Amino acid sequence: MSSLGYFVEQYVLLAGALFTLGSIGFLVRRNVLVQLMSIELMLNAVNLMLVAFNRQYMADQNGQVFAFFIIAVAAAEVAVGLAIVLAFYRLKSSVQSDEADQLRH
Amino acid sequence: MQAIEALFPAQNYTLLAFIVLLPLLGAAVNGIFGKRLGKEAVSLLALSVMFVSFALAVITFLALGHAQEGEEAARFVWKGWEWFRLTRSDGGTVMLDVAFSVDALNGTMALVVTGVGFLIHLYSVSYMAEDPGFHRFLTYLNLFIFSMLVLILGDSLPVLFVGWEGVGLCSYLLIGFWFEDDKNAAAGKKAFVTNRIGDFGLLVAMGLLLYYTGGLDWSSIDNGSKNLLTSVQVWPLGTHVPAASLIGGSFEHWINMPRYVSAATLVGLALFLGCAGKSAQLPLYVWLPDAMAGPTPVSALIHAATMVTAGVYLLCRLSFVMVLSPAAMAVVAVTGALTAMFAASIAFAQHDIKKVLAYSTVSQLGYMFLGVGVGAFSAGFFHVLTHAFFKACMFLGAGSVIHAMHARIHDTDASQDMRNMGGLRKYMPITFWTFTAAWAAIVGFPLTSGFFSKDEILLKAYTSFIKVPATSLSDGAGGSMEVFAWPSWLGTALYAIGILTALMTAFYMTRLYIGTFFGEFKGWKIVKNFKEPTHEHGHDDHGHGHAHHDPSVPLEGPTPHESPWQMWVPLAVLGFLAAFAGWLNAPLFHIETMHHWLEPVFAKASASVELIEGAEHLEYVFLGAAIAAFAGGSGIAYWIYVLQKGKPAQSFVEAMPGVHALVFDKWRVDELYEEYVIGAVDSLAEFFAWADKWIVDFLLARVTAFLVSTSGTALRFIQTGRVQTYAAVMVLGLGAVGWFFVTPRAEATLDSNDESGVYSLTAAEGLGYSYRWDLNNDGKWDGDKGSFGSKTQQSLNLAVKENRTVRLEVKNAFGRTAVRSFNFARPAPDRSGFTSQLEAGPAPVRRAQDLRQLPKPQEMK
Repeated sequence: MSSLGYFVEQYVLLAGALFTLGSIGFLVRRNVLVQLMSIELMLNAVNLMLVAFNRQYMADQNGQVFAFFIIAVAAAEVAVGLAIVLAFYRLKSSVQSDEADQLRH
Repeated sequence: MQAIEALFPAQNYTLLAFIVLLPLLGAAVNGIFGKRLGKEAVSLLALSVMFVSFALAVITFLALGHAQEGEEAARFVWKGWEWFRLTRSDGGTVMLDVAFSVDALNGTMALVVTGVGFLIHLYSVSYMAEDPGFHRFLTYLNLFIFSMLVLILGDSLPVLFVGWEGVGLCSYLLIGFWFEDDKNAAAGKKAFVTNRIGDFGLLVAMGLLLYYTGGLDWSSIDNGSKNLLTSVQVWPLGTHVPAASLIGGSFEHWINMPRYVSAATLVGLALFLGCAGKSAQLPLYVWLPDAMAGPTPVSALIHAATMVTAGVYLLCRLSFVMVLSPAAMAVVAVTGALTAMFAASIAFAQHDIKKVLAYSTVSQLGYMFLGVGVGAFSAGFFHVLTHAFFKACMFLGAGSVIHAMHARIHDTDASQDMRNMGGLRKYMPITFWTFTAAWAAIVGFPLTSGFFSKDEILLKAYTSFIKVPATSLSDGAGGSMEVFAWPSWLGTALYAIGILTALMTAFYMTRLYIGTFFGEFKGWKIVKNFKEPTHEHGHDDHGHGHAHHDPSVPLEGPTPHESPWQMWVPLAVLGFLAAFAGWLNAPLFHIETMHHWLEPVFAKASASVELIEGAEHLEYVFLGAAIAAFAGGSGIAYWIYVLQKGKPAQSFVEAMPGVHALVFDKWRVDELYEEYVIGAVDSLAEFFAWADKWIVDFLLARVTAFLVSTSGTALRFIQTGRVQTYAAVMVLGLGAVGWFFVTPRAEATLDSNDESGVYSLTAAEGLGYSYRWDLNNDGKWDGDKGSFGSKTQQSLNLAVKENRTVRLEVKNAFGRTAVRSFNFARPAPDRSGFTSQLEAGPAPVRRAQDLRQLPKPQEMK
């Protein structure tokens, strides 16, 4: 293929920025729902990476296939995660992650 | 007969399967459903399987007799299925089948086992009728018969071993049948443990036979038996005895001298250990007298007639192996003779009727071993046969007596005590007459079965000996093997011990006979739980018991009575056989049926047995000696216990109380074992208990648990329960991994060859790495203006003793670099075995493989 005008660095930089945003969001926000969204952001950064590198190595489509897998797993994870959040909300009437500290020790 | 031969060809003799499996069927059904079936059904099943098994054994025996003509041994085989196969180190395969075979030897034995077994089953049905464990008892008996048949009919040592362990198990179960009493359970345990020592010997023998002869079934052992004459170094165990160098000199030389024996001797001794355990020979006989704790039919069946003769059977079966080693045979013969005399001496002082019979069994087993040991296999086996008849008869008679005594005494020990008996002749005539027949046989009353079989053994003990194997013994190992030849005095010594034992046997058996059946019945004075105050004054009771009884006082309570027909019919059959079975083999009258019948089986072994010359005329001298021993022994007993009313025995006891106490306490062998053997095991167990408590439980378990819990307590502080903390640690870890990837590492594996002086370096590859080298150590990077290239491998030649420092610089995709230098030194040509000398700063590390194999990114446009 012609890789004219295609620079993988741009995508890597974009993905890195997205991932950093996601992780910062996960670390600083206390709202569980926002944290879940931050996780989604990080997952999408990884997906972007996979697809971008797959573009560079066209011999096989592993990267794209992996991206689909991650989308499916992320969907499942969100389903489970939201159920946990719901249960947590019923228990504590709150969605602040600080308050979910009963499972230590 | 033709029909039998057509139905059951010799190579696929399925009838054997029925003989073996019928008792197992009885055991299985009675064991599972016995409680619900009721006593009648249980005894009917147990008796009928035994009877059919016996009938089939008779048919087999007749068919064998029909098939055996002349010198050729008839042999019927039934192969069940393949059990397992072993691959030998030389690539050959050893097949082991679950196969059974029958020939003259074990065909006869099977007749005894099933026949005597049936009679004893019949007896038990009446004897045990009141016992709550009735169905359990018959189950065990049937299981025992099954195991015994597997033992004798098995076609190979492993199959025999299954039966061997099976009879051991049944023996254990039946000795401890009344396990509510601790004493009985302990006796069972003792029998089992003692037998295990012997079983160890049998296992060793199996291993050796497999190694030397390449097989474990009888015909393979036979085929490979010539390999047993190879010499084996048995000493020293390592290359030398380490402690001997402390003494030094000629002693060290002497003790380090290699010693060789033939493999046959090792096999023979190991086999003998196994047989000594099962057949209660010195030093493993101690379990048999205690085994009398079981019900009396068990003593008759297992501990007199069948199981304890398994050792003799095995020695006869492997006679062709045993005769290859004169030394092992001498051990068998001498142990047999000593056991015979030793056990007889203990029987002098016992009062318990079953104890006397037990020691007499040990003594008679000693005779059998003596016969087998001197190579008179058919004589030894003939004694197995006659002993099975007369000793089973005696035990059953004793059971009948005990049964009768229970009318007055409901105490196990007191009802077996001869001091409470006497005069029973009047009350139980059938028991008396059958016991008389058995007594006559065991003391060697002329023309009874025991007379013929014992006489034959004694004659052979004097006349026959084992030749040193002809093809003995070129040794490949360079040492000389000490070949053991029988000394000429051995036969005389064995005979002397044997005839002395015959005298002793006649004495103590007559003592038992008189004490039980003659004189006055002394059971009247017995009250419940009556015990004699001391052992030491025991003997006088034979003479003085009646003196305390005033005949004018009317007798009260039930009197002893004859047993029911289920009990006396077996007694009558066995008594008849005890009296007349000797005519199967009476060389005096030129009847040698038994000998000719067994001859083909022992043909190979007999070739190694020789008779001393000029012994033919001794036959009548020995006959006279045997009759004199009988007459002397029983005459002395008659004089002491009838004419003198036991006074000489009493005065002997008073004169030498120490000796009497020692003999009464069975020479205190049990105490000796208790002190030394069991004591040693106990101390070992105590040490292990200590180790278990302080090393395993404390050091390994508690200290480890303490360390884990302590570190757990410490680590618990960083478990905050806040998800952000955990995530932050993960991000830090991610950062660390990232840092690892952007830092270049200059590493190389070194390959050096001091001989040729060629040293090569392979730089570890990494994603986006490029390299430059400084091979000649001139401070400048090699290549075009020192630019980075893709060359990862370099090699250089060094002169002897030359040193060189090589530098490597690596640049990664981010433009970061790392430098490392490697020192090479080529040592002088080697004299002492040192190899390379590498100095490369920290030890070189091989990089992870997966990193290297990542594809390199394409050059970017």
